[in-house]
Amino acid sequence: MLHEHHPLVGREIAVREAAPLSIRVAADCARFNLRLDPSHIEKASKAFGLRLPAKIGAVAVAGGRIAACLGPDEWYLTAPLAEQEAVEAAFADLYATAIHSLVDIGHREVGIEVEGRAALLALRSAIAFDIEAMPVGSGCRTIFDKAQIVLLREAEHRFRIEVWRTFADHVWGILQAASREVALDI
Amino acid sequence: MTSYRISGKGRIDRSKPVRFTFNGDSYNGYQGDTLASALLANGVHLVGRSFKYHRPRGILSAGSEEPNALVGTRRGPGRFEPNTRATVLEVYDGLATTSQNHWPSLKRDIGAINDALYMLFSAGFYYKTFMWPKSFWNKVYEPFIRGAAGLGKSPTEPDPDSYASRFAHCDVLVVGAGPTGLAAALEAGRSGARVMLVDEQAEPGGSLLSETDARIDGRSGWDWLKAATDELAALANVTVLPRTTAIGYYHQNFVGLCQRLTDHLPNPPQGAPRERMWKVRAEQVVLAQGAIEKPLVFDGNDRPGVMLAGAARSYLNRYGVKVGNRPVVVTSHDSAWLAAFDLTEAGAKVAAIVDIRPEVAGHLKQRAAALGIEVLTGWTVTGTSGRLRVASVRVNPISRGGVVGPARTIACDALLMSGGWTPSVHLFSHTKGKLDWHEDGQMFLPGEHAEASRCAGAGNGSFGLAAALAEGAEAGAAAAADAGFKAKAGSYAVEGEMALTGVSNRELPTDRNASKAKAFVDFQNDVTAKDIRLAVREGFKSIEHIKRYTTTGMATDQGKTSNINGLAIASDAVKRPAPAVGLTTFRPPYTPTTFGAFAGYNRGELFEVTRKTPIDGWAEENRAVFEPVSLWRRAWYFPKPGEDMHAAVARECKAVRESLGMFDASTLGKIEIVGPDAAEFLNRMYTNPWSKLAPGRCRYGLLLGEDGFIRDDGVIGRMTSDRFHVTTTTGGAARVLAMMEDYLQTEWPDLKVWLTSTTEQWAVIALQGPNARKLLEPLVESIDLSEEAFPHMSVAEGRICGVPTRLFRMSFTGERGYEVNVPARYGRAVWEKLHEAGQEYGIVPYGTETMHVLRAEKGYIIVGQDTDGTLTPDDAGLGWAIGKAKPDFVGKRSLTRPDMVKDARKQLVGLLTADPNTILEEGAQIVLDPNQNLPMKMVGHVTSSYWSAALGRSVALAVIEGGRAREGETVHIPMPGRTLEASVTGTVFYDPENKRLSA
Repeated sequence: MLHEHHPLVGREIAVREAAPLSIRVAADCARFNLRLDPSHIEKASKAFGLRLPAKIGAVAVAGGRIAACLGPDEWYLTAPLAEQEAVEAAFADLYATAIHSLVDIGHREVGIEVEGRAALLALRSAIAFDIEAMPVGSGCRTIFDKAQIVLLREAEHRFRIEVWRTFADHVWGILQAASREVALDI
Repeated sequence: MTSYRISGKGRIDRSKPVRFTFNGDSYNGYQGDTLASALLANGVHLVGRSFKYHRPRGILSAGSEEPNALVGTRRGPGRFEPNTRATVLEVYDGLATTSQNHWPSLKRDIGAINDALYMLFSAGFYYKTFMWPKSFWNKVYEPFIRGAAGLGKSPTEPDPDSYASRFAHCDVLVVGAGPTGLAAALEAGRSGARVMLVDEQAEPGGSLLSETDARIDGRSGWDWLKAATDELAALANVTVLPRTTAIGYYHQNFVGLCQRLTDHLPNPPQGAPRERMWKVRAEQVVLAQGAIEKPLVFDGNDRPGVMLAGAARSYLNRYGVKVGNRPVVVTSHDSAWLAAFDLTEAGAKVAAIVDIRPEVAGHLKQRAAALGIEVLTGWTVTGTSGRLRVASVRVNPISRGGVVGPARTIACDALLMSGGWTPSVHLFSHTKGKLDWHEDGQMFLPGEHAEASRCAGAGNGSFGLAAALAEGAEAGAAAAADAGFKAKAGSYAVEGEMALTGVSNRELPTDRNASKAKAFVDFQNDVTAKDIRLAVREGFKSIEHIKRYTTTGMATDQGKTSNINGLAIASDAVKRPAPAVGLTTFRPPYTPTTFGAFAGYNRGELFEVTRKTPIDGWAEENRAVFEPVSLWRRAWYFPKPGEDMHAAVARECKAVRESLGMFDASTLGKIEIVGPDAAEFLNRMYTNPWSKLAPGRCRYGLLLGEDGFIRDDGVIGRMTSDRFHVTTTTGGAARVLAMMEDYLQTEWPDLKVWLTSTTEQWAVIALQGPNARKLLEPLVESIDLSEEAFPHMSVAEGRICGVPTRLFRMSFTGERGYEVNVPARYGRAVWEKLHEAGQEYGIVPYGTETMHVLRAEKGYIIVGQDTDGTLTPDDAGLGWAIGKAKPDFVGKRSLTRPDMVKDARKQLVGLLTADPNTILEEGAQIVLDPNQNLPMKMVGHVTSSYWSAALGRSVALAVIEGGRAREGETVHIPMPGRTLEASVTGTVFYDPENKRLSA
């Protein structure tokens, strides 16, 4: 297989001062955009092997797979890289009984993990909504400065940003500037 | 130099002396000083020259309302800032400051000639004095005025500092940390609400920092302040931000705060941002901005040493600085008496208290008598003397009948004035909240609120410490309750506070010719009382007109000290009550704010997103020259050493036509359209028919707006019966997807089809040239590239170099062409493999310029270059792309409007210049008769123009009225100095039979 080029390869931000902060590139995974009439949630859940959440903002996680409900008929799905073809095959089988759109967006996105007690502060530099009030285990599509992102709150102090690859540098640059403020405690 | 510092007084840190410079002279100060307090401690009152008349000016106030004391600061290379208010600038060791608006020096300023010529500079002088002769305006008057006027000099170097920004949400935002704001924050904080308390000053406390008489709950003001700030600091739900100015109050309780992070530090940490813009969304807002003292308006009220009485009290009690040894107090408000008392107790000899009011409370008179201060009630001030510092004040008695009696002159070294207090309603006004006029206090107060906000304390017209604490606590508790928390306002016992009253004035009565008085209303813009009266005499009745004619209130201080005085005079002059004359609008920002704070992180590399393709790194390493295309940067051309753009592009073009070129087309927009109604959806969106397009085939698609004009285009491939791979222009990707979603969601929700942006999923490599197939064949698996199996306009899925691909057979050059789509992360490696394997065929990477030339030679349009939003498909020669049998598509109906089918519409044609070596300028206008009179009738313009290496001459595309019928005619292109000739041709210059597509 050919070498894969990542936009943010090898980059990491680590602040070890009073409020620790670690920002790193997430490991690759398979990603899909699923569009489906909500009446077919049951069938789609079976195909994906994970109960698809019906509520916008809700995120389901099981067996290394994630399903985040981003809209009334839209889910952001991730799975381990090795399971890419299995997921595609399962949904191909589903099409006959539940028409839908499953589109591979694995290379469109870059994952960035933001972790630590200062994670909220770093994200607040460029995200307008009240992230503090965002429930753990939820996710949404939002704007980070000028970039559209999907934001998942995985734990109290751990977030994951999914961003289109050409916007990743910009997001990273702002996180870097914000992390300098965290390090200087200013 | 004499020190005016009083030992044991003030909040400055005497263990931390600092040295700073002002106009090159070195002075001592202490940490906790502002530049103003430190200069006053050194006996320096003269700090600047005024805007228009270049009059010597001193320090008027002790806060952000300062109109006079504006200085330049330099904090190292590139870090010069003009117009910083000395009254808020914190001194630190090594601070360098300069005064402004004078030449050759502050003490001897040539511009002061304007002061003697004041008759020329009356209200509206711009409009009157420089009217004639007209030709003098641009060359003489305007440059003169621009040179002479203006305050500090703009910095010329790029700002080396960085700036930060942050969003915040809270339940209660309290603006102003004086007693009102502190009481509000305490109640809200105790309730558990998320509270932000912000104050523009270096430390919280507001008026408590300057007033030392009253006791709160048995403690001194400062002890109470310490306890209050300690309690707030201990509450995890409370954030206190000093040095933070609430600059603007916007819709839905969105408040902008500018926080100064490092300006006060002698050695800011490396990489620390200078300022941070907070963007706060608050559930509830409490405005506790306090009040601003009004100057009195009399002749010579702007001389250095004339100062607001409250400011003098601040300098004494907060900074331990006596502003003079022999001050005179002139007032119409009780509060100035306290300044006289405090100064006397600090050792100054107060020469007199001059009160305009005939009667003053007995207890004030008794205290003055006890302190040995002469009191003149029912007296007016009619002048001052002293060149660079006030030396005496001229005062006169006013009889009961209003007659001004004989003058008396009192020597003084400072003149402390007070015309009462104006509630600070700026932020409330930003919300369009209604202001009510209160005749008693001669002030506007917040009326009905437009936002979830409250005003409290002096900013609400409730003066005095007890009222401030009570109203603040009330507002804080109520705000917390409205935000869903349980809160009940506590009460405070305040002892030792004097009840203070006063009256408001217009310009003070005088025995001299009032029309010669330099009685300033707006110190910063040099507007006097007589200017306002003149404006009214000349017919201006509305305060908004008076403001613009006289420029009162239009300086950077937004008239904080002048608006109400100006209004009182205007209202008297027009003989209408103040509310009928009205108050001018306050606009954000509350105080001048740096551009850097607004820009935040968005400067330099982070100014705007720069989108780079997966192959961008290779292009950079191979010395590509880039050009911006929407947010992307694209390789423009790849010059070899010694090549200019022309040579590089000619070489790239030649390689494609003769053998093989490769081009990074990854920026093209891509949309995956999936569902059983996908073909029907495309039928409705695009002009072309899609139902019969077989899987594995592609078609050029043309997208119109409802107006029938061309919006976008691109090749669309049908992957399966239910799945299409749509491409759009680079710049159109986002808006095409948005337009499609809009139609799908609002017009055709019944269609079973979904859209997903895949622009960034795929890297796209265009291989163009007669050897393209030869290069691809050995690298591609499971796709038969034979002419029969994979003809022009085909698409197939397979593998290339071992990775998945969607391979298109298509051409934007007129040569045999393929577009290799691979998942983005493989883009660069596949590009490198193809480049390596292509060496056999002399493969040449080419950029957007060559792409443009090659497509122009073939007459292929670029939407947005050859079209401008007014071209129909027929205008662009694309009538063939319309599915004539389709019942409807976006824009179809508009295409039959009479105007859209006229023969004289501008149509796309080719142009060949008479001189084959002339390359027309894109955008150049076209005329039919070069000998007609000016202005000539322009019939069209050049849209694309290049040197064509393949044809050995220039080619151009243009839109011309009725152009297609003019084929063979000569048109003219007037250019500076000469008029060019060209003949109208068809749009296809090269290989009109399209033989090369399959060559």
